[in-house]
Amino acid sequence: MLNKLLFKNQDKKQLVIAIIGAFMGITFLVTSIHYLIKLNEFGKGSDILGPNTVIVQKKVSNSSSLNLTKTDFTEREIEKIKRETFIKDVKPVISNNFDISFETADPMVPRFRTDVFIQTVDPTFLDVTPANWKWKEGDEFVPIILPREFLVMLNTFMSASNIPQISDDLAKDIQFKFALKDTIKKEYVNARIIGFTNEVSSILVPESFMEYGNKKFTTGAEMKITQLMISGKESEFGLVEELLNAKGLESKNAQMVVGRLKSVIGTLFIVVLGISVIAVFVSGLVFIQYMQLLISRNAYEVRTLLRIGFDPKVVSNSFFYYFVKIFGIVGFLGLSIFFVFKYFLDKMFETGGLFLDKQPSLTALFALIFTYVLFSFSSYITAKKGIYKQL
Amino acid sequence: MTSKKKRKIVAMKIILDHIMPIPLASVQHNPESIWGSFVEINPGEKILLNASSGKGKSTFTLTTVGLRNDYTGEIRYDEQSIREFTPNNWAAMRREKITVVFQDLQLFPNLTVGENLLLKNSLHPVYSELEIRKLLERLDIDSKWDQQCALLSMGQQQRVAIIRAMCQPFELAILDEPFSHLDTENAKRALALIEDRCNEQGAGFVLTTLGETHNFTFDKELKL
Repeated sequence: MLNKLLFKNQDKKQLVIAIIGAFMGITFLVTSIHYLIKLNEFGKGSDILGPNTVIVQKKVSNSSSLNLTKTDFTEREIEKIKRETFIKDVKPVISNNFDISFETADPMVPRFRTDVFIQTVDPTFLDVTPANWKWKEGDEFVPIILPREFLVMLNTFMSASNIPQISDDLAKDIQFKFALKDTIKKEYVNARIIGFTNEVSSILVPESFMEYGNKKFTTGAEMKITQLMISGKESEFGLVEELLNAKGLESKNAQMVVGRLKSVIGTLFIVVLGISVIAVFVSGLVFIQYMQLLISRNAYEVRTLLRIGFDPKVVSNSFFYYFVKIFGIVGFLGLSIFFVFKYFLDKMFETGGLFLDKQPSLTALFALIFTYVLFSFSSYITAKKGIYKQL
Repeated sequence: MTSKKKRKIVAMKIILDHIMPIPLASVQHNPESIWGSFVEINPGEKILLNASSGKGKSTFTLTTVGLRNDYTGEIRYDEQSIREFTPNNWAAMRREKITVVFQDLQLFPNLTVGENLLLKNSLHPVYSELEIRKLLERLDIDSKWDQQCALLSMGQQQRVAIIRAMCQPFELAILDEPFSHLDTENAKRALALIEDRCNEQGAGFVLTTLGETHNFTFDKELKL
């Protein structure tokens, strides 16, 4: 009866406008946050290198082949790149300055031996547990990250030897060893694969192992930094690409394509997110204004209720619950439409070759809950203020 | 009205300690006037507040029940100044101890007679719907149950407002010219209903009039 008294004779035009605004705002808010998160996560875990990381080197031209221009990086050049606002970090990729070969050391696998090129990068660029990525003299084995193309090559060899090919997981159980040597001495160190990468063409080893080899078996040649590892900020990968072009640097094309794609779609969703936040904010204001209007239109009814003994809290709660129910319906509808959008968008991204994780983002759901709580809290305050003003 | 609804005589005493409404401060008041005097309203007392127009009958009603606070002096309910009451204290007081028939009635015009009465009764249910219908029958307006209050005559609205005031437990009823639009017979019936309800609970009432006593013997008469 209280609801009939307070809400029956109202002009609902403004309420409908606010509901539509909030519904659209919430739908796009949840959708844009979900896809921003999923896009950010895209690429993580598929490679042991971070998703926004590229390894770059100077383009090799005819003049550099003739030693007229340098292909190594100076400290000054590295510092200059580091100062760019869209660059998160830059670290040199250190290469071996000693002779090293790599071979199988497992009785279950036929012997396979090759001279290799090893490199080490700062562990912050790698998606590995620090405890697994360390080595000291005397350790049972040195952990390594193998280029996936190396495994392909190994499988080709297995196939040619009429031996079953090996998977990623199986490869991690095979024993390998490095042979480090100089003109006088030779030393074997066992190695075990802990991960794979598509982005680096050399075997990655911990820094301590590289230092050990470079110190004990050095060829004496000057150490040069010919590759850098660069990680760019989210959604600013276009700027990283511009910088590389301007400085005559190159990287693997696949890395750049993914980075560029993520930047473009990410920017698009940031714009949608911005618009959604504005829509939610404006609709929140319209709701509050509508509630104030409703209370002032019902001033006589509210005052009379209080005069005949209704608790002000009961009356203010009537307004509060009325709006909380509306927000609940809007939130539920927004969430439902988000799932419909998600179904079609996921399909669209898949068709375009972008396989995003399909689990609904918890952050997006929290954003919905946060918006609901914020709307409810502001309506509680507005109702309370409006009713106590009538006392 | 069943016996279980009967209440013990309660002891809430209201004291008007030299009350002077600010808008009436410049007016010369009769020496017998309650304005500026010490007045006690004792539990269960039936009081007539007699005054001509403009002397402050409605001001007395609104001030005593805490709806106006533009006055000097002090009003105390059981030794507690009403200026100390919180909104929640007032809500409880108006729900359980003091009931009012306002001069402007304060009904909800968009609700029916039945809805107006059931809404009030829902706060502290003292009657069943059937009992409320019987009260309407007693005042000869039982046929108006489903009628919107806005469509009733003033006399009918007054009777609805009186019944609404009775739909709660109370220790004091303040009735601000409740029979001004009623004929003698209807006023008599309404007053009898109020008296019965007060006697049931050991409650008292203050009836403000323009001089009409309605042939009722009051315990006390106050003047403005």
